[in-house]
Amino acid sequence: MSAVELEHISCKFGEVLAVDDVNLSVQEGEFVTLLGPSGCGKTTTLRMVAGLEQNSGGRISIAGRVVSDAEANFFMPPDRRRLGMVFQSYAIWPHMTVFDNVAYPLRVRRKSKEEIKERVDAALRLVEMTPYAQRPAPALSGGQQQRVAIARALVFEPDVLLLDEPLSNLDAKLRLQMGDEFRSLQKRLGITCLYVTHDQEEAMALSDRIVVMHAGKILQTGAPEEIYQRPATREVAAFFGSPNLLEARVTDATAKADGSFDLAVEGNGWAGQARAGEKFASGQNIYVMIRPENVSLNGAHDDTAGPSVQWQGKVASSIFRGSHRSMVVETPVHRFHIEAPAFGVAGIGENVTLSAPASATWAIQA
Amino acid sequence: MADVTNPASADLRQGVTPRRQMRDFRMETPTAWERFGDAMAGRLGRNIGLTALILFLSFLTLYPTAMLIYGSFHSAPPGSVGEFNLDGYRTMLNAENFKILLNSVGISFAKTIPSITLAVLLAWIVARTDTPYASTLEVLVTLPFFIPPILTALAWSMLGNEQVGLINQFWQWISGTNYAIVNVYSYGGVVWHMMQYSTVFLFLFIVDAFRAMDPSLEESSRMSGATRWYTFRRVTLVLMTPVLLASFMLSLIRGIEAFESPLFFGTPAGITVITTEIYNAINHRATPDYQYATALSTGVVVLMFMLVLLQWRLLAGRSFATVTGKGYRPNVTKLGPWKWVTFGFCILFFILTVALPISQLLLGSFFRFFGFYQWDMLTLDNYRAVWENAEFWRALRNTMLLGLIGASVTMVLGGMVAYVGVRTKFRSRRIIDALAWLPWMMPGMVLGVGFLWAFAMLPGPIPIYGTIWALLLAYMALGTPIAVRVMSASYEQLSYDLEECSRVHGASWWQTLWRILIALAWPAFAVGWVLTFFGIMRELSASILLYSVGSEVLSVVLLKLWSNGKAEEVSVIGLLMMLLVIVFRYVHLQLIKRRISTL
Repeated sequence: MSAVELEHISCKFGEVLAVDDVNLSVQEGEFVTLLGPSGCGKTTTLRMVAGLEQNSGGRISIAGRVVSDAEANFFMPPDRRRLGMVFQSYAIWPHMTVFDNVAYPLRVRRKSKEEIKERVDAALRLVEMTPYAQRPAPALSGGQQQRVAIARALVFEPDVLLLDEPLSNLDAKLRLQMGDEFRSLQKRLGITCLYVTHDQEEAMALSDRIVVMHAGKILQTGAPEEIYQRPATREVAAFFGSPNLLEARVTDATAKADGSFDLAVEGNGWAGQARAGEKFASGQNIYVMIRPENVSLNGAHDDTAGPSVQWQGKVASSIFRGSHRSMVVETPVHRFHIEAPAFGVAGIGENVTLSAPASATWAIQA
Repeated sequence: MADVTNPASADLRQGVTPRRQMRDFRMETPTAWERFGDAMAGRLGRNIGLTALILFLSFLTLYPTAMLIYGSFHSAPPGSVGEFNLDGYRTMLNAENFKILLNSVGISFAKTIPSITLAVLLAWIVARTDTPYASTLEVLVTLPFFIPPILTALAWSMLGNEQVGLINQFWQWISGTNYAIVNVYSYGGVVWHMMQYSTVFLFLFIVDAFRAMDPSLEESSRMSGATRWYTFRRVTLVLMTPVLLASFMLSLIRGIEAFESPLFFGTPAGITVITTEIYNAINHRATPDYQYATALSTGVVVLMFMLVLLQWRLLAGRSFATVTGKGYRPNVTKLGPWKWVTFGFCILFFILTVALPISQLLLGSFFRFFGFYQWDMLTLDNYRAVWENAEFWRALRNTMLLGLIGASVTMVLGGMVAYVGVRTKFRSRRIIDALAWLPWMMPGMVLGVGFLWAFAMLPGPIPIYGTIWALLLAYMALGTPIAVRVMSASYEQLSYDLEECSRVHGASWWQTLWRILIALAWPAFAVGWVLTFFGIMRELSASILLYSVGSEVLSVVLLKLWSNGKAEEVSVIGLLMMLLVIVFRYVHLQLIKRRISTL
């Protein structure tokens, strides 16, 4: 039984189709992230699960119960759905103390005083906010409000926890720390999470599975590594960092034992190998994706790693970033973005040789 | 599933039933009561509620407006059999009335221009200079806004009387001459009295605009090489144009609506404006000419509507973006020794508008005859007379009762209208908004005439006219636009997330309304309540038309006593009202302070 099941759901705002035929199944204890640029429909999808938005098509089930079915004209209000939610603004009620905020989901369900006390204490302990229980909510910092919001969402052990860009209002350092803390808490308690963000690094660090959305549709679903290394489309590839996409033509394809393919490809003045997830026909135009960190300068690449592809070019710019150096190398084929070692590399204007192992290439439909 | 052996995980579950049994947080099938709650929060309840709201608002605002138009064509007084003709409008259109219209508009212009200058100056002093005790000055300077105009009108009638007025007596005493320098019964008197109110009214608008302005806009002008004065003219004032324009139009409208000033200072000097003309047509003629008065009232509504349209046109496309809710620390001008001049200026304003009238009332209350201030004329008889005046006690009780009930009911109504307007997307919300806003265009006098007809046209078994409820309905109609504004502003400040968050965490629509929205909006409610209460206490023009024996209110009793020449008893009652005003204003300020510190 999956914790959340979305079947062909869609949402219309007037004439605009904000979410278009989305299918998704979240397993119990799984951390799934909806990722995409603003306006891609990820927040609308989350709000439909929460019951804050009504889906105009399709069916939503939570923990095996149907909560909304557009065809059957059935809609369960949010308060019956047994969910927890962390809002982007945290939505900490300013007229209550920290304790009252966290106790709220229990109070509206008319739990006994002792039980409320016990469970709120436990939830506050979980997010390390016990000393702040009697503070008025407005007297908290952003990070503390965030913790209270999490405690409140967890206190009555919801079937699913929904999070709407919960880290986006924190500063960079705190964002990393809170993200890591939350992920370990989630793993320890085995909470099912549906998480929304536009930040790809956050999505990769936290999720079991990422759902990349664009213009109301799902582009690709998969583990973070898979989405990063083997994107299904150009849009997905471009969403993470600034990959090099080389135009090429397939000359040959060989199937491998693991179901993937080795392609022989030919570009404008170069030829080499590329990996692919599907069998491209000979003569088909494709893009070969190479991530900047997989391109090496002047043969720094280890030859034992298998066949590689090489290009000649000239360094156009070089920006020192501390741990590494972002360089742009102009070749007749492509303007390469590469990540080079921080020190002891070629200066601007020097001629260099670029190489990338075939194992780090990925073919995408043009 | 969770690792139950993990200490943190066990922590959360310690002493609590295991997860599977936790499922009964809410029963799968809702109880009958929950179903009823859902229905009332759902489509059915929504439609019933909206319909009721629209019907009630229509009765409160649309019905009297419609009756106004009806009555303007009806030849006989309300409730009598008559025929339909255009006599009312025919009487209205003559040269004399053109002069009355010019008077109304001219006086309003004449008071608006100095008021706005003065208001900008005061607002600048309070908000943008280092004048000492600025926050105290602000409280003092804004006090006239809360004083019923009839009180200061009475006081100034005594102060500025040509023969026995204190100012003229004082002048004759120090100059040794025997001519008067002030005659309050004149155009000047009308304008002067109106100015006291509109300056403060405009000040309240403008001071917030001064405060809310992003200081970096001015700083960047200074950094570009502009002088302070150049910056003030070319940046500060220009940015404030929308606010100034809006307040100018509002002041103009309120000037035309004003009743007390022209009644007290204009009528004795033969200066008539529209509101006093309507009043005279009903109250000061051998046979009241209702049709004429109603036609005039309809004319006023049309005039107001055109002014409001003009205001919209003028303000269209101008944004108030500089006036955001952000808490900027505004640029403060260091005045040096001049700060005592500005301080003195504010104090002078306070003395002229508050201290002097109060002193006059105090003085008047202890002397046998006002104007003859000699030791042997000192007496407590006036207090005794008021104490024994049954009408006064009745009026006090009525005013308090109407104030308490009226303010409460109006604010509840305003809270509901604002909720529909701000928090929902129902199509009918535009109708509701428009209905609630309708009285904004109607002076109390005009609405009073409308209600006269409205009550008379009600079927027999509903005897509202002549009772205290007639006044209550009129006060509610007059107070609703402000109540809606206060509550809308309050809801708009509350992020919608706060309510959605409550819903997701298991609270029903009703629980959310009660525990979140009302809990958070009640300070605004309280502040609006006090404002509405003030509004009811000061109301004269609708009351004077709608009261009858037994349902007098304080302002009406004051006017009646004054007409009977009992200036001394008027002083006593005036003082008492003044005291009430100060107490309520104090409570009001405390409420505002607490609200700011908790939110």
